[in-house]
Amino acid sequence: MMTSQELASYFRESLCIFDLKAASKREALAEMVDVVCSEHDIKDRGLILEMLLNRESLGSTAIGKGVAFPHGRTLAVRDLSIAFARSVRGVDFDSTDKKPTHAFFLIIAPPQDRDNVYLQVLGRVVDLIKDDASRDRVVGASGYAELKTIIEGQGL
Amino acid sequence: MTDHPARKPDQAKLLVALQDLDHMIRDAEDAKTAAKMQEMGFPMDGIAEIKKARTELTEHIKPQLLNRYQRVSQNYERIVVPVVKDLCTGCFAKVATSFRYEKNSVVTCESCGRILYFT
Repeated sequence: MMTSQELASYFRESLCIFDLKAASKREALAEMVDVVCSEHDIKDRGLILEMLLNRESLGSTAIGKGVAFPHGRTLAVRDLSIAFARSVRGVDFDSTDKKPTHAFFLIIAPPQDRDNVYLQVLGRVVDLIKDDASRDRVVGASGYAELKTIIEGQGL
Repeated sequence: MTDHPARKPDQAKLLVALQDLDHMIRDAEDAKTAAKMQEMGFPMDGIAEIKKARTELTEHIKPQLLNRYQRVSQNYERIVVPVVKDLCTGCFAKVATSFRYEKNSVVTCESCGRILYFT
């Protein structure tokens, strides 16, 4: 089972946006995909964005309480990657509770993931956020160091 | 959609997008995976939408390439595979370096026949 330390190792400062500018779902995804492509030197940004938009068509990944977990697999990425973003004003992300989304965990992975780490990571992040206190701390985190401390300290 | 790969002439990218969609459809239709997703709280009721997206995407792919994709899919789960360090990651056979520079063409592995994606 994945430890909180292992989960925290996927979070990098360069993949965190604490002042997301986006005003729409598409803009929010694009802003997060940009940091992933920049960090990992990925050329096919469009493929990732298209996959994420298709995944949203399957069902919104904003599961309420101000948090969304856009996710999916694409050949355009070489390794599993997590980006975190926070929007102070909130984004209409078609949330199940119809409320604006303020915190985003973008999780993308290549299809060739034999151990299914992708689903493990997604499950761990969702577990973390299901706890009301943890969610409030994550949404209110002032920066990367605080975010990482919260994730590492979950003892999950 | 400005980033839709269908607007670009790169057929290899369209095949990657097609495979991404096929994996998504397969996961959504797999009872175990779908149950896990729903347990996490993710609704999965838009399967018709992504099947429609798949149909639209295939309209932009050349018929002979679509046939090739379907033919390879009869033998392998992963039809399009990345080339890493000049190796086909489907069968790990060496891929000629010159293939990387064959612009606007879709290259297949000479050993296993999978479609190659140069990242």
